[in-house]
Amino acid sequence: MQKKSWKFGTREVVYSAIGAALYAVLSLATNWIQLPSAGNVSFRPAIVIPLFFGVVFGPIVGFIAGFLGNIISDLIAGYGLWFWWDLGNGIIGLVPGLIAVWMTTYKATKDIVWAEVFSVIGVLVGMGVASVSEMWVSGADINTVIFANFIPAIVPDLINGLILLPILLIAYAAIVKRSGR
Amino acid sequence: MLVTWRYRLRNGLMEKFDPRARWIFSLAFLFAVTMFWDARFLLFFFIIAFAWYFSSRAKWKETRRGWYLIGFILFMMIVINTIITGGGAGGVVPPGGHLVWPQGGTFPLFDWHFHFGLTWERLWFAICQVLRIGGISAIFLIIPYTMDPRVYGVTFRGLGLPDRFAYSMELAFRYVPTLARDFGTTLDAQRARGYEIERVKGGIVKQIIRIAPLIVPVTMNSILTGEDVTNAMDLRCFGTRPRTWLNKLTFHWQDYALIGFSIFMLVGAVIAIYGFHIGNFWVPYFWLKLAE
Repeated sequence: MQKKSWKFGTREVVYSAIGAALYAVLSLATNWIQLPSAGNVSFRPAIVIPLFFGVVFGPIVGFIAGFLGNIISDLIAGYGLWFWWDLGNGIIGLVPGLIAVWMTTYKATKDIVWAEVFSVIGVLVGMGVASVSEMWVSGADINTVIFANFIPAIVPDLINGLILLPILLIAYAAIVKRSGR
Repeated sequence: MLVTWRYRLRNGLMEKFDPRARWIFSLAFLFAVTMFWDARFLLFFFIIAFAWYFSSRAKWKETRRGWYLIGFILFMMIVINTIITGGGAGGVVPPGGHLVWPQGGTFPLFDWHFHFGLTWERLWFAICQVLRIGGISAIFLIIPYTMDPRVYGVTFRGLGLPDRFAYSMELAFRYVPTLARDFGTTLDAQRARGYEIERVKGGIVKQIIRIAPLIVPVTMNSILTGEDVTNAMDLRCFGTRPRTWLNKLTFHWQDYALIGFSIFMLVGAVIAIYGFHIGNFWVPYFWLKLAE
């Protein structure tokens, strides 16, 4: 069956929900996992979930996984609702989803490299949008936006995403091969 | 791992409103307040926000975690924005102004002379930031404590979101406890095999890779479950006609009143800013007198 980028059928409805719930749960779960070498930087390994769901199931699923997952995570943690940061997380999942139709085996070097490249773009654009929103919401200047919001947000996201995404793609390739789906 | 929603019924005034009306009010508030930098208007919005917040009857010990985070963010913004960089505060504060230390200062031990460009106008801007961000925070922080997670799907469907998106939202909220349980089971199983998540040896890369034995099984297991759920939904003809929802929402007179107030607030803000050109950054006279 030919893949369609912007399709939102039953399968996409289900995987959007699973992606969002998974992103929320893993974000909360890994909050208490201490990474001593990372100092005070907030690490969120779960950022790989919207990236992965985007690459595998398409841009809409990636977007909902990031957007809704961040909302649910913040709702459970009691941090309230920060629409622009939720939107930024959604974009993080949406951009890698743009290459979902070109994915073939998920474990081929070409597939992994493209997934990584689009993930980097997704993180930069998503966190860029979220950070710039602070100029409108909080009246922050561009220096504050770059050094207090953008850089602290992208560095851990890129490190986590780029390391964990290939691992998940290779694991998924094994499942696809075994189940024939 | 225990995942619990922050919501519980408190019988506060806020809970008497329909969730759709509350979202409309919250979003109208956000768009209205972000048009202003005049402290007089911001104070008005600040009072509305906290009146709304206290109508929830949420206790400090419940919400303090969120407030600590907001306090930290606010502190960082004001310290970096106003005290250290003074980067013009997004073009809101006009250049120049009255310096707080016009003569500069000297470090007592080293006798180093320094010039610090902090102005009274930027300090006033910091107060405006506290009012604006504090108000927005009060409106949005309280949502998880006062809105039943079971009605998010039907609420957003009622606000115009397509059926499939609203259902996806509903499904996600219902999946959370299941996936949290799966994560707990996986963690226990890996620990039984000698997996040590708390091991501190190794650099960042090793630390992150160490998380993979947790993330991979939970993710792959949920994907396999998803196939079964998809098949079950397809067999029940999901999406062939509009859905009905378990919880029904009905507007009452107080909801219309809240929506009316939200529209009044938003339209009033637009007229004030674009019609009368009031509400931009303003520094009171008494504040500038402090500079003399």
